[in-house]
Amino acid sequence: MNIKSTKYVTSSITNENGSILVTFNDDTYASVPLVVGNRHYDAILEWEKIDGNTIEDAD
Amino acid sequence: MSKAAELAKIGEVATNSQIGGRRNIVYNGAMQVAQRATSATGLGANATTNTYPTVDRWNTFHGGTTAGRFTMTQTADGPSGFANCMKLDCTTADASIAAGEEFLISQKLEGQDLQAICKGTSDAKQLVVSWYAKGTPKTYGIEMYDNDNTRHFTNTWTVTSSWQRFTQVIPADTTGAFDDDNALSLYILFWLHAGSNFTSGSSASSWASVTAANRAVGVGSFFSSTDNELFITGIQMEVGSVATPFEHRSFGEEEELCKRYFVKHKANSPYDRFGTGGAVTTDDAQFVFKFYPSLRTAPTLTTGTLSHLGGTNRANGAVAIGTALSIDTNSDGPLSCVVEANDYSGDPLTAGEVTHLIANNNVAAFVAFDAEL
Repeated sequence: MNIKSTKYVTSSITNENGSILVTFNDDTYASVPLVVGNRHYDAILEWEKIDGNTIEDAD
Repeated sequence: MSKAAELAKIGEVATNSQIGGRRNIVYNGAMQVAQRATSATGLGANATTNTYPTVDRWNTFHGGTTAGRFTMTQTADGPSGFANCMKLDCTTADASIAAGEEFLISQKLEGQDLQAICKGTSDAKQLVVSWYAKGTPKTYGIEMYDNDNTRHFTNTWTVTSSWQRFTQVIPADTTGAFDDDNALSLYILFWLHAGSNFTSGSSASSWASVTAANRAVGVGSFFSSTDNELFITGIQMEVGSVATPFEHRSFGEEEELCKRYFVKHKANSPYDRFGTGGAVTTDDAQFVFKFYPSLRTAPTLTTGTLSHLGGTNRANGAVAIGTALSIDTNSDGPLSCVVEANDYSGDPLTAGEVTHLIANNNVAAFVAFDAEL
């Protein structure tokens, strides 16, 4: 899915990880829910399996 | 065709219940709806693969680092009865096709929309895929790819410089049922360029387990020359063995169907309002977006260039938002989601204050929700 970087974003409701901010190779970005079946989240899970790829912690 | 043969075909169509409305399983087959854009250029690089650049529901996939580049547009052209088509225009040629290269356009379908096919049962039905195309004369491929059971059917078709209707009968498959859910079960794939990894076998002229080398046998290359163009529209897939006339749907119907997968709120004026919400702190606000019709799943949020968006507050009117908007899994679903704007410039809000998410003096602003397959 052409992912450049990923970072968790904290939910203001639960104070836990609420979404992932993903930046794509073409420098566009998206906010992705932590929901299996969302094609971007599924792609991030696959991307994360590749050595060296990790989702950055939330601020 | 003789009278007897014609009558036999009519009987076959009637028996297959192909007379009547709602035959076409394909979305946006007439290329009417283009929420994202009507034109996208410079496509072909890995950075833009597996995306939906223009007409709704039509995906482009290019792998293997092809040098080929193309422009994709919703174009006002078509055979009689069609106002629009998808046009692909090769802008950079790829004279040396590596083994792993591929370029396809596709539509992905949910399993729950395919149960009438009875695939994987003794009652499995034939399908007919039909489409209109014209372009630079070239042989391309069509593949039906069963994602649940990793099975496929393939064939080729040859486009000419005049509009013509193509039909492909897909045999019934008694092996491998489609899951009855909202996940991807079936791809309709049009192969436009393929390396030897996909062409070195023999076509799967009946349903079979997927063999990569059999996927695009005989397919020519759309990227062979910058003169190459392809126009395609009127894509239909229906249960049965005879292609019936294309089922035209109104723009409103088609747009509603497409909005299950993608919805884009575009600015129609420089300070258009996208949503109303409330301030949580002096610089944080939340906006609730409701989706009608419901989306396929919890969506991804995209907003394009952040500076195109802004928020309102009582004292200052429109202010910039400094950090990318986010959604919240805890409040997301197919029917609604909360969008958080966490960095109003200058901390102008008062907790509890009503605020609007707006275009910040920019008609290019948008908020989009993507639940595509």
